[in-house]
Amino acid sequence: MKNIRKRRKKREDQARRPVLNRDVDMTLISPHDDAELDFFKKRALSSAVVLIFFFAVLVSRLWYLQIQQGDRYRQMADNNRVRYVEVVPPRGNIFDCKGREIVTNRPSFNVVLSREDSGLNDEMLKKMASILGEDVSVLLERIRKMAGTPGHIPIRLAEDIDWDKVAFIENNRLELPGIRIEVVPRRIYHYGNLASHIIGYLGEINERELQASAAGVYRGGDLVGKMGLERLLEKDLRGEKGREYMEVNALGFEQKYLKGIEPLPGDDLKLTINMDLQRVAEDTMAAQDKAGAVVAVEVNSGRLLVAASAPALKLDEFVGGISYKAWQAMLDNPRHPLVNKVDQGQYPPASTYKLVTALAGLAAGVITPDTVFYCPGYYRLGNRIYHCWKHAGHGAVNLVQALAQSCDVYFYHVGQLLGVDRLAFYAGKFGLGRKTGVEMQGEKPGLIPTAAWKMRRYKKPWQEGETLTIAIGQGFDLVTPLQLCMMTATIANGGTLYKPGLIESIRDPSGRLVEQFEPHVSGRLTGQAANLKIIREGMIEAVNSRHGTGRSARLKGITVAGKTGTAQVVRLRQFKHMREEDVPYKYRDHAWFTCFAPAENPEIAVTVLVEHGMHGGSAAAPVARAVLQAYFKGRLKKAGNPALVMSSGRGGRSRAD
Amino acid sequence: MLRFDRRLIYDFDWVMVLFLLLVSGMALVNLFSSTWNGGPDPSPIFFKQLYILLFGYVLILILVTFDYKELVPLGYILYGVVILLLIYTGLFVHTIAGTQRWINLGFFHLQPSEPAKLAVVLVLAAYYSNHGTEDGYRLRDIVQPGILTAVPFVLIMMQPDLGTALMLGILFVSMTLFVKLRWSTISILGTAGIGVAFIGWKFLLKDYQRRRIETFLNPEGDPMNHGYQIMQSKIAVGSGQVFGKGFLEGTQGHLHFLPERHTDFAFSVWAEEWGFVGSVFFLGCYFFLLLWGINIAMTARDKFGVLLAFGLVMLIFWQAVINLFMIMGFLPVVGIPLPLFSYGGSSLLTTLISIGILMNIRMRRYQIKT
Repeated sequence: MKNIRKRRKKREDQARRPVLNRDVDMTLISPHDDAELDFFKKRALSSAVVLIFFFAVLVSRLWYLQIQQGDRYRQMADNNRVRYVEVVPPRGNIFDCKGREIVTNRPSFNVVLSREDSGLNDEMLKKMASILGEDVSVLLERIRKMAGTPGHIPIRLAEDIDWDKVAFIENNRLELPGIRIEVVPRRIYHYGNLASHIIGYLGEINERELQASAAGVYRGGDLVGKMGLERLLEKDLRGEKGREYMEVNALGFEQKYLKGIEPLPGDDLKLTINMDLQRVAEDTMAAQDKAGAVVAVEVNSGRLLVAASAPALKLDEFVGGISYKAWQAMLDNPRHPLVNKVDQGQYPPASTYKLVTALAGLAAGVITPDTVFYCPGYYRLGNRIYHCWKHAGHGAVNLVQALAQSCDVYFYHVGQLLGVDRLAFYAGKFGLGRKTGVEMQGEKPGLIPTAAWKMRRYKKPWQEGETLTIAIGQGFDLVTPLQLCMMTATIANGGTLYKPGLIESIRDPSGRLVEQFEPHVSGRLTGQAANLKIIREGMIEAVNSRHGTGRSARLKGITVAGKTGTAQVVRLRQFKHMREEDVPYKYRDHAWFTCFAPAENPEIAVTVLVEHGMHGGSAAAPVARAVLQAYFKGRLKKAGNPALVMSSGRGGRSRAD
Repeated sequence: MLRFDRRLIYDFDWVMVLFLLLVSGMALVNLFSSTWNGGPDPSPIFFKQLYILLFGYVLILILVTFDYKELVPLGYILYGVVILLLIYTGLFVHTIAGTQRWINLGFFHLQPSEPAKLAVVLVLAAYYSNHGTEDGYRLRDIVQPGILTAVPFVLIMMQPDLGTALMLGILFVSMTLFVKLRWSTISILGTAGIGVAFIGWKFLLKDYQRRRIETFLNPEGDPMNHGYQIMQSKIAVGSGQVFGKGFLEGTQGHLHFLPERHTDFAFSVWAEEWGFVGSVFFLGCYFFLLLWGINIAMTARDKFGVLLAFGLVMLIFWQAVINLFMIMGFLPVVGIPLPLFSYGGSSLLTTLISIGILMNIRMRRYQIKT
């Protein structure tokens, strides 16, 4: 034991010896031995300063990048890796008054390209073009159109592609960097083109709309309402966009789903329109192949039941953008399909205006219900002759007869007694000459002239002869079918002028009521109940008496009361002796018919305008009758219902007004 | 039988070993992350680097066994071999990615420009220690070391590998400024250097090399290319913030926004995942290792030792500075790795050999009478 320890100690001593030697050696080295070695070592020391300097530079750079600018770079790193995709919400649905779907949504599939992720890869675009069956130039054109927009906004390469193409693209994702399938709700029109002018259509947002909207709501390529309720109620219908945040790698492939914000669907719209009646109105107009408007309103609330403008818009043409050619064709069409004639079409009211003249006469006291004027077929004012439409004359007629037979001479008398301004005052009471405030686009006010207006407009005094023309609804007078319908409703309900309503209710996606229709009174004819009753009698006679002008609107079981009108488009001598059918289309007279029913306890008022339809009794009244027939279905007497709808015999004996 | 010299253990440079292990350990951790593909296993690249590292450690153990003065003839031999290999690559090696740099040895792709740096340091140290001067070198005294540098410089430029060639130039300048020069020599060389840089820019640089420098000067002009790489690197570093995103959590690296993330831009990955704290810790270890190298130079027993140690430190130091400056956006993209840290066998072996030689010099800092 001792031995071993001794041996180990000896070994350690031996091992330590070089250390001792080293200490001895050290004394042998004098730093001044070799001047150059000394110089080198000083240099080495100063190089250490250089090293420490660079270390300090690097650390301060790290401080700057990671601490001072760290938040900014963290943000940039997140921008690199996080992509969000906007999720378009389903637009609000539109229902009719019975809760039937008019417009809803279906999913459609778009191909989108995010430029940041793919750059512009020719190879990939070629592949994409062959999958879509389109030429590369089409895709390049779409990319070029978006060239000015920020890079993070994706470009839509194709819209509404088939399922098998969707499947193919999804299966080949790895070869198509930056390409994504986007699911977007698309409008589906359950009633085809019915009520197209009211509903309107969608189109891609344009530069002006984009700038006018609040930031972040829209971006290029979004669909917005371009017309009708789709446009007027865009804010309610559009809902709120959702977002899906994804992590992507440098090649643009999605790595994982980070989070999502669900889109909020738009509010649902319930209209006052009854699509059954709307269909009847539009089909009847279409069957005649006529341009014009049909309006039906609930007389005691102002709810619009029908608001039809013919010819209808082809809504499907607008889905996914209308072609320039189709658009131009619509602009050039003499029947003006783009105009909603219900509220934008202004026409002389013609004989329907005699209702205003009659009320004004009674209310102003210039006539009584028993006042009789003699009609020899003409009226002389100064040295001018004003004709009645019936050149043989009506003989002695009272007010009811004059309304029923639409005697011009009777109303020449009334008009002259009233003067233009009193006439205009009562026209105003019926809401004529100003906008009704309906939820439709571009409503026109019409025109009810006064002496002061003419002075302002033409710097000429009013002529008394013009009053005669105005009294029978010609000359300067202009009304829209909607205004005339509201006037008819006012006569029918005893003097309350309602604002026409189109929207029954608006509900948000959770079913909460946002807005509910309430009748809105925009004017009242006070103390005129008796006078209005006389006028209603005249309207009943006009439809139901033997000499009435509106006989083609008669219904069995329901008493219809109405008034015809034939508005001259031009007064040209050259057409005077032509047969009506030979007059060129654009110079033919417009046909009016306005009515309400049942006469005893009115519920509905219907107004029909047929552009260049020539006679109110023959062209317009049957359309109104068809709507009434549909409305009163079940309440009509079955037997002996004369098939008058299309017959033009009765009303059109001559210029039967 | 060879008697085992106990001094190999008593004088062993444990400090260097400690910092070498620290730095190369961090390098392995980072390589695991930068080559990680989401699975539980490290990538094959990781193992390749690990084996080379272990081989390098063995090489260090061999390198410290003999006195470094033996390296003078060995340095000239290495120099000669390297020149031959460079000529060989220039003539026979197929082009990879537009350059001819690698010689396929079957198990290993050798990049002869890496040992070329080591060879130049060796021959310059040998030359200057043999040719002493009292009142500074004149111009004609440095013609010979100039030629010794210029031959591999030109060969490497022809590959073309601008970064490595410039490294040779920088090593020559560093070591020549280290020894005593006359002021007249310095001013003549300075003027000539500016002239060469100008002519080089005009006539010698390839288009893509010139573009890199232009890009650096105006990064907006070329957003998707080299400016993009630098930008992504700065984003990676900066987004690491104070404590980093965590190991394997760096988004810039793992989502492939960083280019060359296991080679030239390896430190970006480290900075992103470990933040300011981790980056400063790494740089602290790294620079301590370099300063320890300077300390070795200051305590070396002879001129050759000082010059050699200094040259080797400069070899590692300048590569590191250029690489880090590039990563932090101070320099254009130059293909220079961060020694010990970037992936790449030739560079790692060269660096480990350098460190082995440093340890050798350290262990023989006392004059030993024999």
